[in-house]
Amino acid sequence: MLRFIGVRLVQMSLLFLVFLTLLFFLLQAQPGDFSRQFLDPNIPAENRDLIAARFGLDQPLWRQYLTYMGNILQGDLGVSFARYPRSVVSVISERLPRTFFLFTFATMLSYYLGFMLGKVLAWRRGGSQEMGITLGGVILYTVFYPWFALVMIWFFAAYLDLVPVNQFLTPIRWREAPFSANTVFASIIWSTLLLTVGLGLSLWASRKPDNLAQQRLIRWGGVGLSFALFLAFWLPSDRRTFATDIAHHAVLPIFTLALVAFAGVMLITRGSMLETLKEDYILTARAKGLAPKTIRDRHAARNALLPVTTSFVLGLAFIIGGGLITETVFSWPGMGELLLVSVQNQDIPVAIGSLAMVGALALIAHIVVDVLYVFLDPRIRYQ
Amino acid sequence: MTTPLVEDTSGLKSGQTLLEVDNLIMRYKTKQGYVSAVEDVSFVLHKGEALGLVGESGCGKTSIALSLLRLQADNGEIMGGSIKLGGKDLVPISEEEMRTHRWNDISMVFQGAMNSWNPVYRVGDQIKEALDLHWPTRLSRAEVRERIGELFALVGLPADAQDRYPHEFSGGMRQRAVIAMALSCNPQVIIADEPTTALDVIVQDQILKELKRIQDDLDMSIIYISHDIAVIAEVTDRMAVMYAGKMVEFGDTADIFSAPRHPYAWLLLSSTPSIVGPRRQLAPLEGEPPNLLDPPTGCRFNPRCPFATDQCRVEEPPLADIGGGHMVACWNYEDVPVGITAGGVA
Amino acid sequence: MALEQKPGDLQADPLVALEGAEDLPAIELTDPLWRIRLRLLWRNFKKNWGLFAENKIGLVGLFIIGVFALMAIAHPVLMATVWGGDNTEIYDPVIGYDAVVKEFIVVEVVTDPLSEIELIDARFTNINAQVGDIISQPQQPAPPSSKHLLGTDPLGRDVLSQLMFSTRAAFFLGMVAALVTVFIATTVGSMAAFFRGFVDSFLMRLADLILLMPLIPILIVIGGFWTIELWQLGVIIGVLNGFGGVAIVLRSQALAVSVKPFVDAARVAGGSKWHLIFRHVIPNVLPLSFLYMMFGVTEAISLEAVLSFFGLLNVDMSWGLMISVAQAEGYLLRGLDVWWLLFPAGMAVSVLAAAFFLVGRAMDEVVNPRLRQR
Repeated sequence: MLRFIGVRLVQMSLLFLVFLTLLFFLLQAQPGDFSRQFLDPNIPAENRDLIAARFGLDQPLWRQYLTYMGNILQGDLGVSFARYPRSVVSVISERLPRTFFLFTFATMLSYYLGFMLGKVLAWRRGGSQEMGITLGGVILYTVFYPWFALVMIWFFAAYLDLVPVNQFLTPIRWREAPFSANTVFASIIWSTLLLTVGLGLSLWASRKPDNLAQQRLIRWGGVGLSFALFLAFWLPSDRRTFATDIAHHAVLPIFTLALVAFAGVMLITRGSMLETLKEDYILTARAKGLAPKTIRDRHAARNALLPVTTSFVLGLAFIIGGGLITETVFSWPGMGELLLVSVQNQDIPVAIGSLAMVGALALIAHIVVDVLYVFLDPRIRYQ
Repeated sequence: MTTPLVEDTSGLKSGQTLLEVDNLIMRYKTKQGYVSAVEDVSFVLHKGEALGLVGESGCGKTSIALSLLRLQADNGEIMGGSIKLGGKDLVPISEEEMRTHRWNDISMVFQGAMNSWNPVYRVGDQIKEALDLHWPTRLSRAEVRERIGELFALVGLPADAQDRYPHEFSGGMRQRAVIAMALSCNPQVIIADEPTTALDVIVQDQILKELKRIQDDLDMSIIYISHDIAVIAEVTDRMAVMYAGKMVEFGDTADIFSAPRHPYAWLLLSSTPSIVGPRRQLAPLEGEPPNLLDPPTGCRFNPRCPFATDQCRVEEPPLADIGGGHMVACWNYEDVPVGITAGGVA
Repeated sequence: MALEQKPGDLQADPLVALEGAEDLPAIELTDPLWRIRLRLLWRNFKKNWGLFAENKIGLVGLFIIGVFALMAIAHPVLMATVWGGDNTEIYDPVIGYDAVVKEFIVVEVVTDPLSEIELIDARFTNINAQVGDIISQPQQPAPPSSKHLLGTDPLGRDVLSQLMFSTRAAFFLGMVAALVTVFIATTVGSMAAFFRGFVDSFLMRLADLILLMPLIPILIVIGGFWTIELWQLGVIIGVLNGFGGVAIVLRSQALAVSVKPFVDAARVAGGSKWHLIFRHVIPNVLPLSFLYMMFGVTEAISLEAVLSFFGLLNVDMSWGLMISVAQAEGYLLRGLDVWWLLFPAGMAVSVLAAAFFLVGRAMDEVVNPRLRQR
């Protein structure tokens, strides 16, 4: 088990190095080097060479490569052109939690809903309802996402006026704020993370005792306690109004991204469930006299979860791409928006830094899913 | 064993009627029409008896087994007849009520035990699931472990094997565990559908012996289903020969083996080598089973039957007693030679 | 059981599989080989078409693709006839311009925005305007009229003409991407499956790497650093897909094929490695390739729209660009009031992508017999 995770970690680190190398050559393949691109063409040649030498551009390629890799691995991503003299790392570290927040919530929501609906769809195969929902899923899955996001903004923000239009917060409210948006945002992230852990722990612990009453007590007690602590932290807090402002802005982007990602999960779950339902152990479960709901959830869905989990890795690029579009369309200041703006501004250090970070994010998510898979499938656990 | 593991809950004594199937008809609905998988099948199973169903694949053996538990595929429908368990008809009762009878009264050892285990749960937990559902009292975790340990001892598995996952078992162990699971709720009837088909010959023999011993020890009633005549010969008291969804011959296993009266049974036996008997020429069974969407008129075996007459092509023969409980559905059963196989004695 | 009759199992060599073909004319063995081959292919096609046609959703997808193809063909015809001649300047999708002029009554308080205009706004175009005057104002974007069936865009260009013109670009891109994908993936998959060993593990690790890489961010960076043309985007998508996910799927299919008895038979008969790959493995992997071609087209269409939406693609006119223009000019939040700016283009991308996806799904049921509902 530990060995498995270790091996995966090593593999992923290697993959990351390959990815960084590809990025380096992507940079090199640009027409001309920095000294040609960004300097006034009227500068005398010797001065230009001097500047190029200062930036190490006169070095042989392999040395430049080593410097580049060394710097990145030491966490030095350079200085932003557009936000000089801020370092790329500081720009990214401000943006990263916001992307993480959007991505995690949308992913969890879409997988939860997609799995629940997908398994019911497969269970009731053949009805007109099933056909309609599947068709709806296909439409959501193939919809032109930026357009869909724009329509969502128009409908929910402009037409119904339920949520604010775009942005991360309402600036006017924060004028007198005693703390920065990042501080409030950090407490949002930590509190929700702890809440999730609390909920998970109580569900896990509730399976331990032998009798039903105790199980129920632990489950609902734990859930109640987690929520109580969550509220106890926020209700008296003077950050509450500011936090709700951020949350209010986050609702629509999360919902939109989740909706589109959800469709893919639902279609995959449905297919995987249909396969599982043909298995012999489903017949065994029916012969045992189990209730249909138990068969569906405990036996079929539990096994159908495995391919769905695998598909997460394949869907990762999709969700990250979707997240990027979401951030841009909703002006949500995260990594995706940073990447696009830096590309448009030719802010190359930030562009490369963000891309490296997005790649790292994808790899980390991959490892998390791998470990999850090991827990879900005993056949792998004991190999 | 001091106390019998299976108490006689029904109050029936050995030899009493336990399961009575009457004129059972089960058909699958397809786009092209109805496929008659089980047609007018009747038989009686007594307490402590082993009954065999034999026939080619596709002849409706498994369909009968599934119909007894009302587990036929979604497009299958029981269109007539009755299945009386201890006098109670299982056909008209609701699905919810049927669930309380499954495993509790009739349990099953499935074809291909390899795949009858859910790969993500421990073997013990999967047996526990049945116990939680059907055991008259709620068992504590320790009691469940103890009970599964007893069952495992009965089928020759160590008690701690219940903590393992199915993929950690060998094929034979899995099959033993499947038998333990089938016994878990003290069912009155066990249906063993091709219990040994997927196993290698040595393990096959061990499992059959084990089943036979358990049956004798616990005075169980078992319905064996197999395409393998040798299996049926080894373990059953009485047997039925199935052809194209119909029962064509029924009687004591020994009687049928010594003197099959239906041409199909006769040809089937002739196509199987005998280890103990005299060396003989094997006769291949010509032709293929009929298309059940559109079965032949008259006797369903007539296109392949060497004894077929005009009557056979028009009129369906009833399953009639020819003496001593030996039943045959054939107009010309007297033409079937006794003592010689189709290939002749070599 | 008798129920398990499997029609059209594509696992079998299509040049050998003949089941279910009794109702077709018999083959004369004296015919030349190519004719026999052709007839067998035709039989297979008919059989598979029958299976495909059972799936109504797939037919709907095919119909939609047909409608779009007609639009693509109709555009140059219209430009040469109805929209041609003097009208070219009006209807050209890229450089056309038509200021639709509309008359408004100048009022104090607007009650009907379609025919009235507020004094302050009127004075922007006509400094002497008074309440009660009737003034003419050019409209950009203009709502649909008999002259412009889908109105004009914020730059005064005909939306319908843009929409139809962009269809060609979408098909072109989809075709390039799909063909490159299939060519590379089939080759890579067959090679990996056939040679195994080092070639296999190298190609598959490469595929893993590509799968993991977030495609859209990378394309955005590439689009930002270089000027990419439509065909280049098609090639990039094709290469990434061809070496990526599709290669993995096709490899496992090729692996299944290469251990089939007919391949062994050909090997024993003395067929060279290349002969085996090209005559036996690749033809049997192709049906699955065509399936992934459909999904590839879906992806290419969406990616093109995304990139031109961000203005990172060097393209004259495309659906993504149309939405991008509408958003950049600030017409987004007016929603249904300017529906012709947002909906035709957005729907076109979504519907065409969905159509290819649906055809792909229907083909999936033909190629993978286990998915069929019976």
